[in-house]
Amino acid sequence: MEHTSLLERILRGVALTLVVIFFMFPIVWIFMMSFQTNETILRIPPQLIFEPTLANYTALITGKLMTAAGTLDIAFMRNLWNSVFLSVTSVAVSLLLGVPAAYAFARHKFRGSEDIAFTLLSFKFAPALLVLLPLTLYFQKLGLANTYIGLIWVYQLICLPLILWIVRGYFEDIPADIEYAYRIGGHSWFATFRKIALPLAGPGIAAAGLLAFIFAWNNFVFALVLASADKQPVTVGALAFITSSGIQYGQISAAIVLSITPTLALALYAQRYLVEGLSLGAVKG
Amino acid sequence: MHEKEKDLIDAFLRGQVDRRGLIKGLGAMGLAAGTAGTLLNLGQTRALAADFDWQAHKGKTIKLLLNKHPYADAMIADLENFKKLTGMNVVYDVFPEDVYFDKVTAALSASSPEYDAFMTGAYMTWTYGPAGWVTDLNEWIKDPAKTNPNYAWDDFLPGVKNSCAWNGKPGGALGSEDAKQWCIPWGFEQNNITYNKAMFDKAGVAIPGNMDEMVAAAAKLTKDVGGGVYGIGVRGSRSWATIHPGFLSAYANFDQKDLNVSADGKLSAAMNTAGSKAFHKQWVQMIQESGPKDWSTYTWYQVGTDLGAGASAMIFDADILGYFMNGGDNKMAGKLAFANFKANPAAKAATPNIWIWSLAMSNFSKDKDATWYFMQWASGPEHGLFGATKMDFVNPVRQSVWKDQGFRDKLNKSYPGYVEMFDASAPGASIKFTAQPLFFDLTTEWAATLQKMVAKEVPVDEGLDKLAESINGQLKEAGLG
Repeated sequence: MEHTSLLERILRGVALTLVVIFFMFPIVWIFMMSFQTNETILRIPPQLIFEPTLANYTALITGKLMTAAGTLDIAFMRNLWNSVFLSVTSVAVSLLLGVPAAYAFARHKFRGSEDIAFTLLSFKFAPALLVLLPLTLYFQKLGLANTYIGLIWVYQLICLPLILWIVRGYFEDIPADIEYAYRIGGHSWFATFRKIALPLAGPGIAAAGLLAFIFAWNNFVFALVLASADKQPVTVGALAFITSSGIQYGQISAAIVLSITPTLALALYAQRYLVEGLSLGAVKG
Repeated sequence: MHEKEKDLIDAFLRGQVDRRGLIKGLGAMGLAAGTAGTLLNLGQTRALAADFDWQAHKGKTIKLLLNKHPYADAMIADLENFKKLTGMNVVYDVFPEDVYFDKVTAALSASSPEYDAFMTGAYMTWTYGPAGWVTDLNEWIKDPAKTNPNYAWDDFLPGVKNSCAWNGKPGGALGSEDAKQWCIPWGFEQNNITYNKAMFDKAGVAIPGNMDEMVAAAAKLTKDVGGGVYGIGVRGSRSWATIHPGFLSAYANFDQKDLNVSADGKLSAAMNTAGSKAFHKQWVQMIQESGPKDWSTYTWYQVGTDLGAGASAMIFDADILGYFMNGGDNKMAGKLAFANFKANPAAKAATPNIWIWSLAMSNFSKDKDATWYFMQWASGPEHGLFGATKMDFVNPVRQSVWKDQGFRDKLNKSYPGYVEMFDASAPGASIKFTAQPLFFDLTTEWAATLQKMVAKEVPVDEGLDKLAESINGQLKEAGLG
């Protein structure tokens, strides 16, 4: 059994506390700001004691924002819904397309397979602005501009390569012999994929899906360029609180708290899969 | 509507009864202020409709791209009147200011027909115009069949109107005979002083009347107000937006220019003259002594927030920024005052550089005539007066609105010194930059040089010589110098 001295334990505790404070401070400060008015936030010097208010959350949920220039209509909840819808559907489509593709790339070596896989990966590296203008032109011709379907399609640039490459690595780690044994038992290729490969790759798929969701959620520029105001995600919507008549620090903090909640909850829930899935998928046996 | 009320409102619109007479008369008829406002809007709609076929595009729909701004809010609040007047439908997309111009550029560069008209700044049209993205509006303004007789194009403040017109030739004078009207001014900002009167009184500082006095006043305020308050807020980020407000307004007051234009139309840097160097030294000294600690990150938002929160004693920036900070839930709401600023003791008056929120027509609009119907209404005198008196549409661009006693009374009541400031500086207010397509690149480099000077990384003289050399190189490379 390993023994640690009292001093070592104290030093370790202090070091851990400092690290936690360092990383958590911005989030805790934003959380506190979300319960304050602009006036209390901008006090000099800043103070930890304040009278909490729910006014910022009320403004976001009711869609009415009070500013120096009067009442403004805001569409934050609509932005939040757009983010949820775009991220969930994009990841779902990517999983449907990417997981079978990853399996094919992992198990079935065919002519041009590596070229196709790298082409898909290259989507991830293409600067968004480089592809957006040509895409806008095509989308206008195809009638996809300013549609959710068009956006979900474009979001595949973010989600599909990520899922495909992470899950491919994971499939490659599963010994092929298990699948051969099942096939010898008279089962079809699809049954092998469904009953053997998919359950074994579960944590990897979950991790890839979660990462893709976070990347999709954080995306900013695709919807900004390709869609109208009513289809903007929360990343664009949160900027509405920076107005020429002043920055609404309270509301922007409340918006951040609301917008990070879904990803934070999902990440906390799936943390185990995330670490396990990524570490297993990353190391080739 | 009852005949008596209708007659009284029509008399007001004909100019036979003044605003006070109208309010008094309607009050005597038992109408509340809100009802009177509604009736007035209806009356204005009828008056507009009387002389022009506003229904020519009935049933059509146009789409606007708007920035989230009080000007857009004022227009949206009045939009029902336009719909009733024309029978047209108007839909709009509102985007936050932080990403607004990215959206505009993306839509225009993709030749998107989605938006018919959009908000823009006059500076942006120096790029949009030559690129063929926006339409020269002279075709509509000068056509009596398409523009209503009450539009009164001459009613626009001349300096503001001309600042939106450029012939497209690099270095071409704004508002020249051959200029194209790339956009219609909607609302604008002059750069002047907004100050905290209590802090000035506490430090025993008078409103500065020139650059020397401003440097001294800012230093004394920093020293004597206490509580960490600094003397003067000006912008400092590495952006063109650092150059165009107070900095260029004061610079131009000393007859200094950004670029020289030779007889053959070639451009060259003009910011390394002796006069420019002297001004830069004063400006840099003022920021070093009395500016915010992290000045190099300061944009519109930080300058305004500090003034509103009582962290700075004055700003030399957009007058409407001070206007906004004097309202809402700002700590200093109701405690700010305004003054025009003439940096050069030898100058006759202030010469503020201006930012103009304008309306431009997309060249990719599918129905330009219908779009012009909206644009002439939105920039017309009736909507201007509505925005100025009922909403926060400051500063209006029409002289008739500034003459309106109701509007002046509104400002005098809550914004001390605003009207006097405006009257003193508006005649000299215009864009002081040289119109040319490298505007954003060159002014951003100018701001970067200013940052180095304030950080004492380079002496002012040397910094300006290097800047001029770099700018001349870029102008030559682009075939402009």
